[in-house]
Amino acid sequence: MAELTDIANETIRREIEEYLDRPEEIERNVGLFVRVRPLMQEIAAALIEGDDGTVDRLTKQALGEGIDALEIMDDGLISGMGIVGIKFRDTFIFVPEVLACARAMKAGMAYIEPILSASGVKPLATVVMGTVKGDLHDIGKNLCIMMLRGSGFSVIDLGVDTSDDEFIDAVEEHKAPILGMSALLTTTMPNMGKTIEAFIDADLREDVRIMVGGAPVTQEFADDMGADAYGKDALDCVAVAKGFVSVQA
Amino acid sequence: MSKPDRSIKDKPTPKIDPEAHRQRIDRLSAIFSDIAGHAEELSKFRCPYRDRLDRCTGKFKCRNQKVSPDDDLLVCLHDGQFDYRSAWETDPESYGRAKARIKKIKKVSAERRAPPSEISKKD
Repeated sequence: MAELTDIANETIRREIEEYLDRPEEIERNVGLFVRVRPLMQEIAAALIEGDDGTVDRLTKQALGEGIDALEIMDDGLISGMGIVGIKFRDTFIFVPEVLACARAMKAGMAYIEPILSASGVKPLATVVMGTVKGDLHDIGKNLCIMMLRGSGFSVIDLGVDTSDDEFIDAVEEHKAPILGMSALLTTTMPNMGKTIEAFIDADLREDVRIMVGGAPVTQEFADDMGADAYGKDALDCVAVAKGFVSVQA
Repeated sequence: MSKPDRSIKDKPTPKIDPEAHRQRIDRLSAIFSDIAGHAEELSKFRCPYRDRLDRCTGKFKCRNQKVSPDDDLLVCLHDGQFDYRSAWETDPESYGRAKARIKKIKKVSAERRAPPSEISKKD
């Protein structure tokens, strides 16, 4: 049976020893990391630490050494994210740390996406996401983006305080069939309605399905604003986006 | 004759089997779904912008923020005993105002787009 000490990477050993408590999870992760090559362990360790620069560099190196993209996904990126999920569940880390790890994952996936594309694996759809003008809250949006990317969507993140023109330009530039807007304040929430009106003015409303969300937003508000759908949380956001895709297909 | 020294860039990229990729997406999606579900639960008593060192990562002002005596970073003073969102949302009655503003935005936009003849009919 594999032992913790058989794992070459010190960070991975420490992570399992300090943060994993359930015997079946310890056994599964020890068994997993013992068999993976040291470079994959390094990628997983950097991802767990939210170090996107190192994940970027090591993923590029791994592909350069001829390591299979799926092996990098399995043994480096997804295995690392598995530990992140456990640490978050057991409250050793919180949302800001999880999002840093998701950014590290994205850094690695940036090298794998062109290979996927060359293999004919297309994203489910492109989604433009942003927090509306005047609003600087981004965690809900960032969780949605993490979920969408993890579900196979390509996401263009416009960040916070996004103007109507920025939303319109991004949808046009990326030919995105889906737009997601977020607001966390009742004072900024009406700006989603303003942006929807701007899409009508730009004669683009028929080309894009619009979903809205955020703590103060309700289905009633979404209907009032003329949105196509309301997502109450990150899980719902993915379900809504998948619903849009299935309607289009 | 020696083989040409092909750089990494020149090597043919192995293809990824779409079905194998879909399986990875399913696994990743399961991990993220658990994370999102737990984040939803956690957000009922702990501000999502508060990191593991109790520092505030928000880029906006909040009444629970305080400058740390040790460094320039903001720390979160929220005690987890009340809904932290009240620190952002000062007026619960603002829902009514938001609704009225949305109605006005739509009305103004509709009037602006309406042909001049329709506007004059309304007048």
